[in-house]
Amino acid sequence: MRKFFSNRRLVIIVVILVVCFGLMAGSVSLRNRRNTPPLVQQFGNDIVGFADSAVALPVNWLQTSFSSVNDLMSTYSENRELKQQVTELAQTKVRDQTLAHENKQLKQELKLKSSMTDYDTVSAAVLMRTPSAWQQQLVINKGQSSGIKKNMPVMSDGGLIGRVTEVNKTNSKVELLSDTGESSNRFAISINGSNGVVNGIITGYNASRNELIMGQVSSKAKIKKGTRVTTSGMGGITPKGLYVGKVSRIGKDDYGLAQKVYIKPAADFNDINIVTVAESASQE
Amino acid sequence: MYRLSRLKYVFPIGLFVSLFLDGALSHVWAPLFFSYPYSMASELVLLWLVLSYFFENGIEIPLIPWSIAAGVVTDLYTSGILGLCMVLFPCIVGLTQLLSKYFSSSFLSMIMIFFIDIVVFETLNYWAYSLINITTTPFGDYLIYVLAPTLALNLVYFVALYWPLRSLFNWATTEKNA
Repeated sequence: MRKFFSNRRLVIIVVILVVCFGLMAGSVSLRNRRNTPPLVQQFGNDIVGFADSAVALPVNWLQTSFSSVNDLMSTYSENRELKQQVTELAQTKVRDQTLAHENKQLKQELKLKSSMTDYDTVSAAVLMRTPSAWQQQLVINKGQSSGIKKNMPVMSDGGLIGRVTEVNKTNSKVELLSDTGESSNRFAISINGSNGVVNGIITGYNASRNELIMGQVSSKAKIKKGTRVTTSGMGGITPKGLYVGKVSRIGKDDYGLAQKVYIKPAADFNDINIVTVAESASQE
Repeated sequence: MYRLSRLKYVFPIGLFVSLFLDGALSHVWAPLFFSYPYSMASELVLLWLVLSYFFENGIEIPLIPWSIAAGVVTDLYTSGILGLCMVLFPCIVGLTQLLSKYFSSSFLSMIMIFFIDIVVFETLNYWAYSLINITTTPFGDYLIYVLAPTLALNLVYFVALYWPLRSLFNWATTEKNA
């Protein structure tokens, strides 16, 4: 019988394995270190992204038309509910406008150009999702040429969904908050407690209950269930005041010394079609 | 002759359409594919590669170079981590070629070979990703929550697409002038 692992074949297999893992580890560390991928990679991704839209856009269109037929069924009851909300919303909107105006005037008086709450937005369509169990990642159809930069926060349905991890010229990759990767969901957030504002970061994601976890909160902080959670703007890139979700429950950490706050995210990570990338205005 | 048949156009177009469909379907059907705790990976590219090997009717498609090309695109564009699919896709093509020597070319043996391909592909994928620390899922959880649903999904693809793809390849492998 011929030996399967002859000397030469074994050497080739080992070389391929080494090259393979070298490439994988290299590309992961390169992605973490650099703001943009190498030019060749960007160029390739742009061309592929262009070809992808030929497939992705018809599929997206099909899905939207199917779901609009579905929506038609529940239009009547939804309409009644929404009408009620609209009357409340008009009042809020007017108040919001007045406050924004006042805010602008006050900033002018203080000679402040822009603060952490000012941000511009870029809307983008989702082209695809990584077909893998190990990465929760989307590709969106806007890139550097639309002003998107690495690490910018991404929102959908009015709530935070993740951050930009790789930027090409015309498309970029977004890592969702539900990704188990270590840096995917570290956002600085703040909660209005009954005895002051509680600041912290998102430290994890509980997939079984669909909850974000904010760890290491001082046990003195008093936080009520249902309080709204927003980004705090600390750290620079993420603007202040992006909606994250609501507090769903509060627990103790493993040693009983600090509190853990569980947050129900506002957006559904599995139903994302249009995303908004927020660009902090105070950066420039 | 590969150069003279319609396969010259049909095969690469089908390869990249299935590659993009993997991503588009994972996005559109995300509530189905990624409902906790299960996650299914759509592998239409593998299905296309395996079935085109079975249906090539004596016309030798350069499957290995094309599978490397598809692997590079998958790595760069969909995952952003280079070096996995560009090696695994040609390995799966080689495995299919190796296994098909020992079995007759009936529907049942084809679906069994595809089953083995998916198991090998997903397991090597899981193993590599857990080595470079992208996932920390335990092996038992991987078997139940990832491998089983992925197999189910891709075997459904296989059964649904077997006859349409066979007639497509029959059309594409006949000579243009015949």
